[in-house]
Amino acid sequence: MDDVATTAGASGATGMSAARRSLASKAGRLSARLLPGIAILVFWQWASGRLIKEIYVSKPTAVAVRLYELFASGEIYPHLWTTGEELVLGYVIGVAGGILGGYALGRSPRLANIFEPYVMGFYGIPKIALAPLFIIWFGIGIGSKVALASIMVFFLVFYNVYTGVRSVDRELVNLSLVMGANQRQLTYHVYLPAAAPFVLLGMRMAVPYSVIGVIVGEFTSSISGLGLFIHEASSTYDPAGVFAGIAILLAFVVGANFLAGRLERRLLRWKVPMKQAPSDI
Amino acid sequence: MNDAVLSFDGIRQDFPSPGGGAVRVIDGIGFEVGNGKFVAVIGPSGCGKSTLLQMAAGLLMPTRGQVRHRGRTIDAVNREVGFVPQQAQLFPWKTLAENVELPLLLRGVAAPERRQRVGAALEAVGLDGFEQYFPNQLSGGMQKRGSIARTLIYRPDVILMDEPFGALDAQTRMVMQDDLQALSRDAGASVLFVTHDITEAVLLADRVVIMSQRPSRLLADIPIDLARPRNVFEPFKNPGYEAAYEAVWSVFRSQIDIRQRAH
Repeated sequence: MDDVATTAGASGATGMSAARRSLASKAGRLSARLLPGIAILVFWQWASGRLIKEIYVSKPTAVAVRLYELFASGEIYPHLWTTGEELVLGYVIGVAGGILGGYALGRSPRLANIFEPYVMGFYGIPKIALAPLFIIWFGIGIGSKVALASIMVFFLVFYNVYTGVRSVDRELVNLSLVMGANQRQLTYHVYLPAAAPFVLLGMRMAVPYSVIGVIVGEFTSSISGLGLFIHEASSTYDPAGVFAGIAILLAFVVGANFLAGRLERRLLRWKVPMKQAPSDI
Repeated sequence: MNDAVLSFDGIRQDFPSPGGGAVRVIDGIGFEVGNGKFVAVIGPSGCGKSTLLQMAAGLLMPTRGQVRHRGRTIDAVNREVGFVPQQAQLFPWKTLAENVELPLLLRGVAAPERRQRVGAALEAVGLDGFEQYFPNQLSGGMQKRGSIARTLIYRPDVILMDEPFGALDAQTRMVMQDDLQALSRDAGASVLFVTHDITEAVLLADRVVIMSQRPSRLLADIPIDLARPRNVFEPFKNPGYEAAYEAVWSVFRSQIDIRQRAH
């Protein structure tokens, strides 16, 4: 649904109506997008108690009520705080490590030659299997969850950055050298911007992985956190509680994705082609 | 010649071949680029024309022989030359103005002077008004102009051009050739211009260096004494053009005959 309505020669009036039309089409797009979600919720509400026992699947209204109670009573805040802290720390450490490691190995063929097989090997280990060990190593508190989340984030970001840096056009680098760039300038003006799309893609893909890492850690053993809350709810046959916890996690992932998307559009402005290119010479 | 800005002396270049061992690409090439002169290098594809440019830029060291820039042997990246590659190679994440400004920024030129020189350089290539455009918003010809402006802006005394107009359409190419003629004269720079187009070489150059097939040797170094400015739109209207073309072609044709027989 492209708006090609505003072409050259559009007068003020038609411009106005075109703007209104584009607003209307935007609203149309949004409602078309919401429709399947609403349909699922309605079906869930209807089926609960009719097709499946409510004790198994709860129902959207019950989940909403449960969410309201959790926030109104303040019961959820300590869990939110713990999990939020773990997520942010795990994500930031993982991303920072991934960018540094990926950049270093991407720039230095010698380092890559030595370390790539090791990284590849560790990449293949299912990190979730490490969760019990991490609890032993880093304790039952947030340390083990941060470690688990950051290691999952690290590999994703690492591989994206590594690929991005290695894919930089050799001729651009040579050209920059002839133009007078030193190594620091080369990093800033050539390698980082060229790798930026890969870095941002990695950062975006890593968001759900940091959630998985943290929740698995909390499931395994913890004293506080959303994972623990969900775990307890499910072991006490409280599906509304489970879904309420999942809804909060979902909100976090959607929010983080939105932020990442904004950042991406801002930093990768140059990738969006203008609608009309100017004519030749 | 004492006024040689760039000189190639007994250049030999071997590249490792995929099956082990080495492929000799260049086998003894020597010529000079005089001060302010426009020298075109032509040769069949794969004969190592671009390799010569990389050596002059200090990006590749010859297996044997020396490249000298103003008497100094090139043994590291040569920041005193300008390089215009086959593709425009503007940085896609920088606007046109930022692209053209980059060499000055890298060389630590102060901001007010940078702005002023960027304005002048863009005007010289006819791109004023497009400062804030990103390269992917510009046509191929405009990108090429931007690439040339980016090279001229730091006033190198030698400009290396690697088939710069090869990817352009015929009309754009003629306009660009005409502009290059004026720009290189105004800049007072020497130009080493690699091409596979004999017409282009004869129209633009003061001398045409002809290389043979791999392993390439110097076949001829032919002076082109056509009056300037030359008419690049109607080559045949330049007095003496036919003779000059014939002089280059008579040497070059042997290389093409060899190729056809090999097939």
